Amino acid sequence: MSDFFHAHSSVIVSMVFAAVLGLSLYLPLMAGQLSLASPGFYALGGYVAAVFSTKIFNVASGAHFPIPYLLIEMIVAAVLCGALAIIVGIPALRLRGIYLALATVAFVEILRVVSLNLKITGGAVGIFKIPQPFRSTLQYLWIALPLLILAMAFVYRLEKSRIGRAFTAIREDELAADAMGIAPTYHKVLAFTMGAILAGIVGTVSAHFLNTWNTRQGDFNASITVLAIVLIGGSRTFLGPVLGGLVLTALPEILRSVADIGGLPHWLAQFLKDGRLIIFGLLLVLCTVFFPQGIITPEFLGRVRRLFSRRPRATTADEARAAP
Amino acid sequence: MTADVAESIRADAPDRARAVVLEATGMTRRFGGLVAVNDVSFTVNDGEVFGLIGPNGAGKTTLFNLMTGLIQPTSGRLHYRGADITALRPHQVAARGIARTFQNIRLFGNLSAVENVMIAQHVHTRSGVLAGVLGLPPAPAEARATRKKAMELLDLVGMADRAETKAVNFAYGDQRRLEIARALALEPHVLLLDEPAAGMNPSEKQTLSGFIRSVRERFDLTVLLIEHHVPLVMGLCDRIAVLNFGKLIALGPPHVVQKDPAVIEAYLGDAG
Amino acid sequence: MAHFIQSLLNGLSIGSVYAIFALGYTLVFSILGIINFAHGAIFTIGAYFTYVLTGAAFGFNGVLANRSLPFGLTLVIAMIVGSLLAGFLSVIIERLAFRPLRRRGADRLLSLVSSLGVAIVAVNLIQYLVGAEIYTYKGKITGNLPSAVNFGSENTPIPIRTVQIVIFGVSCLILVLLTFMINYTKIGKALRAVSEDATTASLLGINTDRLIMFTFFLSGFLGGMAGTLVGSSVSIAGPYFGIAFGLKGLAVIVLGGLGDIPGAVVGGLVLGLAEAFVPSDYSAYKDAVAFGLLFVVLLLRPQGILGRVQVQKV
Repeated sequence: MSDFFHAHSSVIVSMVFAAVLGLSLYLPLMAGQLSLASPGFYALGGYVAAVFSTKIFNVASGAHFPIPYLLIEMIVAAVLCGALAIIVGIPALRLRGIYLALATVAFVEILRVVSLNLKITGGAVGIFKIPQPFRSTLQYLWIALPLLILAMAFVYRLEKSRIGRAFTAIREDELAADAMGIAPTYHKVLAFTMGAILAGIVGTVSAHFLNTWNTRQGDFNASITVLAIVLIGGSRTFLGPVLGGLVLTALPEILRSVADIGGLPHWLAQFLKDGRLIIFGLLLVLCTVFFPQGIITPEFLGRVRRLFSRRPRATTADEARAAP
Repeated sequence: MTADVAESIRADAPDRARAVVLEATGMTRRFGGLVAVNDVSFTVNDGEVFGLIGPNGAGKTTLFNLMTGLIQPTSGRLHYRGADITALRPHQVAARGIARTFQNIRLFGNLSAVENVMIAQHVHTRSGVLAGVLGLPPAPAEARATRKKAMELLDLVGMADRAETKAVNFAYGDQRRLEIARALALEPHVLLLDEPAAGMNPSEKQTLSGFIRSVRERFDLTVLLIEHHVPLVMGLCDRIAVLNFGKLIALGPPHVVQKDPAVIEAYLGDAG
Repeated sequence: MAHFIQSLLNGLSIGSVYAIFALGYTLVFSILGIINFAHGAIFTIGAYFTYVLTGAAFGFNGVLANRSLPFGLTLVIAMIVGSLLAGFLSVIIERLAFRPLRRRGADRLLSLVSSLGVAIVAVNLIQYLVGAEIYTYKGKITGNLPSAVNFGSENTPIPIRTVQIVIFGVSCLILVLLTFMINYTKIGKALRAVSEDATTASLLGINTDRLIMFTFFLSGFLGGMAGTLVGSSVSIAGPYFGIAFGLKGLAVIVLGGLGDIPGAVVGGLVLGLAEAFVPSDYSAYKDAVAFGLLFVVLLLRPQGILGRVQVQKV
């Protein structure tokens, strides 16, 4: 068992990061806002870590990178991403509709072009030899897992709070929420900013984990991957993006092992190895057509819960009405 | 509200009746070439039930939308207790104490009845993200009070037994009542009801009139009402304004408006 | 002065391609109120179709390595046929990824997501089939013309690449034809009617499904033509060729106002000129100009440069 963990340590840690990144996109979706900016803030957080750890903090080569430094990077990234999110969010979120999606596409592109050309970000090559705070890859779980659990707890509690209810109201009907005294722009910017901060924090840890950081971290494919995590996993309960992140990150590994079994036609084996993004794209289309709320929905969770409660299946008032 | 507060309000009722709560001056709204609301002026007095009637497409709902900030007037001003609220956003209007329901019911469909009513208490609660997530004061106390009040309001509209049912799953009449409960959660001074009887069955319509009157008494409200159901309007309203093609063609007590030739013309013209 | 004229002419040339490309986006938006993210992929596919139709062989990577068609068309014919094929592909995409959602009355954000899915499938399928190499067209659309034309005098030359002039000419021709079609043909008038007011148009008995198919065909044709024009100017730079262009196209339609047909043309020209006038010291940031403009427009004029304020139905 522990061999298995060590052999796949890199995938396991990535899975956890992806789940947190999924939650960062779920936060603006709570208020009904589709953002494609999570990878942008993730990239920014990574650059903060890369620059701080290689150019500002003096760590003797070979020594472990101190954890308090990592926490400082996380705080800097959070503040920076939060501030940028407010600047990007206000013009886009004053407007109803798809403007946020468009503005976040623009934001990610600007960030990419800028980091491609700045000296401090290492241009097209990026930044190498980011120091390691841990002895082994698997030890990153010491920071990745608490991050995931905290983020999940945060979102879970938020959904049941006053602000979370305001988000839900805006997602359900922005105009009615407005008429009920909820300021739409304020709450949409708030949800977007919280997502940005979370993505930035994941980025800082990820930069150390990957050891190197460049502009490919926040590109178009990264946007699609995070989007797939949330929309295939499920966008109406926070368990959707978490499970989506875990499963979809493991998927290429699983496909690769299937391809290695042998006996498959060459083209199929090749497709299973290289076709990750084709499969993500197809899943995105199929899901929006057949499962518009993703695989994990509140109704799905309700069925699972009943399955485990062992009591004879009780029909709720909702179902009685839904099926006359 | 305690009994003696209600008592004291009733005591100075004659005085209050003269106080102007809402004042619309020359309200106009154009959509392209169409003038949906055309130079409409009127005042609404404190505590009255003010009816707004007119044929379909006369601009009644547009006028409500103008008064609640959902759309901006092309020209004209709106004052509420002396303050200019013309340019306010809908949530600012709501926070000042003007609540509304919608003609084509706009509940938060995937949320339960009680959640719908809790959401509308947003402006009267303070707890932010951290307090809510960490359960720090004032969040827990607020959460309890919000739910308690929501349940009271559901009880008032006779839906407390179905508090956890999703809003989309209610019958039409229940959805209308739930919308009223949600609007009351804003603790408004002025309540705008857009066709509250639409889609209700005859017995529901009958009790609605008494219900609106009792709500007005209990919460000390001024009520504006768009309604097609004539017996309801005539029996309930202190004054009635009649709109036709965006213009105000009559304004006065029900029995006067009923006999106004311009009103008869507008309705007959509409029927023909 | 010479530099100014050179930038102006180059800006107009690339701007006219932005314009016809963005028209493809905005036509679909004006009818359905959705952004078709697959439009950038259509741009790429149009360019590749043209390459294949000239009878040229693929490179060494991908499943189709070294294969080619048994026949070859001349470049100009291949460009037209390639763009038409892109139009048909766009209709197929509409059938598979948009129509089921529309029938269900789904949230418009979902259409955006499903078109993103289509885009990512298309781009990676190209990479899987033909690799990520750079492809250059056989032949030139400029034919035997000299490779550059001097717009200045002998002492102060202002050379402009002939291909830029041809591209500008072709784009203008397409714009003129499109204007004629929208204003004078029956289907064009129907398109304009629906884009201005869908409810009234359906009351007038306009067949919406046929019109939507036609709009997607037109959009795909314009996208494919833009791809093949850019391809003939600078080669096809791999499967991601159209993604960057597609994202810039989004900036163009925000500049012009979402769904605003003349606005897309103005937005395209504005972006082309803005990029051409970026000082050479900052040329590395040229690709960010579009998105910077997008933010400026969102802040100052969300309805677009020409736009009227949209009326929100309550």
